[in-house]
Amino acid sequence: MALVKKTVCEAIEKDERKQGRDCSTLLRQLADPSPAARRWAVKDLIDCPDVSYALVELLGRETDSSVREIILTTLTKRADQQALAGLVHCLRSEDASLRNEAIEAMKLLPDEVAPIMGTLLADADPDVRIFAVNVLESLRHEKVEKWLKEVIERDPHLNVCASALDLLAEVGTPYSREALENLKSRFPGEPYIRFAADLALKRILSI
Amino acid sequence: MAELTISMEDFLKFREYFYRKTGIQFDDAKRYFVDRRLIERIVATDSRNFRNYFMLLRFEASGDELQSLTNLMTVNETYFFREEYQFKCLVNSILPELTKSRKEKGPIRIWSMPSSSGEEAYSIAMYLLEYWPGINQWDVEIISSDIDTKILSQARQGRYSARSVANLPKNILAKYFRPSGELYQICDDLRQAVEFTRVNLMNPADVRGYRGFDVIFCRNLLIYFDDLSRRQAADTFYDALHPGGFLCLGHSESMSRISSLYQARKFSDSVVYQKSKEVR
Repeated sequence: MALVKKTVCEAIEKDERKQGRDCSTLLRQLADPSPAARRWAVKDLIDCPDVSYALVELLGRETDSSVREIILTTLTKRADQQALAGLVHCLRSEDASLRNEAIEAMKLLPDEVAPIMGTLLADADPDVRIFAVNVLESLRHEKVEKWLKEVIERDPHLNVCASALDLLAEVGTPYSREALENLKSRFPGEPYIRFAADLALKRILSI
Repeated sequence: MAELTISMEDFLKFREYFYRKTGIQFDDAKRYFVDRRLIERIVATDSRNFRNYFMLLRFEASGDELQSLTNLMTVNETYFFREEYQFKCLVNSILPELTKSRKEKGPIRIWSMPSSSGEEAYSIAMYLLEYWPGINQWDVEIISSDIDTKILSQARQGRYSARSVANLPKNILAKYFRPSGELYQICDDLRQAVEFTRVNLMNPADVRGYRGFDVIFCRNLLIYFDDLSRRQAADTFYDALHPGGFLCLGHSESMSRISSLYQARKFSDSVVYQKSKEVR
């Protein structure tokens, strides 16, 4: 036995597919009992029109982690309105891992998420507002500090403000200084808010 | 203009952010190294101070500056037996485990990417021949891919500088190379043993046929990708690996931060990532 150089070019380029790869066949394969078949169907749907909604639907019921991951990658690459609406819908799910996966995916879409960030931060559900702040954690967008400042100025919920505060300790600039000072007055009986606001202020003033 | 300095607060803030984005951790002893490079980029980008530069790094939509800084903070150099501990892991732990549980008698398949000028793929070949007794019982295919056709042509030629081969033990250098002017020519047996192919890892059509690998080496490439491209690469490797196959990344890279599909395996020589054996 030894090192062998296979004529891999032939072997690699020969791509045996068991089923058709047209969009309607691929959509049907999303219900295939085999996770591998579903995974490849999702992968190959990347260029098909109007399929994000079907992918979001599958995400809601899919239990195989390898299929879930490829759905999220595909939705993130597609980044169309349906995909974004589906990811936002996931933020309301009871399934914590699905919510976290949606947050991670949304972090990769600054331009698409920016127009809806104001709406998310004003959502009636404080959990959704916290998840929106979580999205801001790695969002590459110039308005991140502005959104965070607005949260600590206006949001009535302690935990939402605390999440924004943690992030402002990293990205805050003198622009947020007054809002940070005021936040301590908004929640006078909360030692954590005082501690975290002082830490953020210390970091801002040390710049 | 006042002299630029990086305060301790700045350093800690940067260190935390950079680790989160790249997985590269700098301890306090690297402070001088980090400060110098930060200052270099602050000047190059006309940011004037750390605060402005950090905002650029943090929020620039394209992520170009983070990429430039990452390039500067990492040593991009390839040579034979680089990060040798992973080759040790391959022969001491990965291959014995794979061959023990393997039912079919087909060849062990190894994919090395990016190929660059071929040092990694040829190092794997030499390591197997020299240090893995299993080579007497098993056939091994080594495929090495890169996006750059020029560098692939260089890899196929197998001519290397003294600097490239400096890390090789003398007996191995003598056995597999012959001097050729100021260069070293790798022997024909090794050149014939490695298949070099052009692949763009981000192009689904290019990678679709790459399947059935037992081990993939992809070292010091993902640090140059953005987050979405890293996820895409993780998906590609997942589909390319056999169930139970292994993925070896560079020392500063971690798959745990990119995808939940792999299990980190800590062997005595290295941490590597494994695709589940239970894939349905």
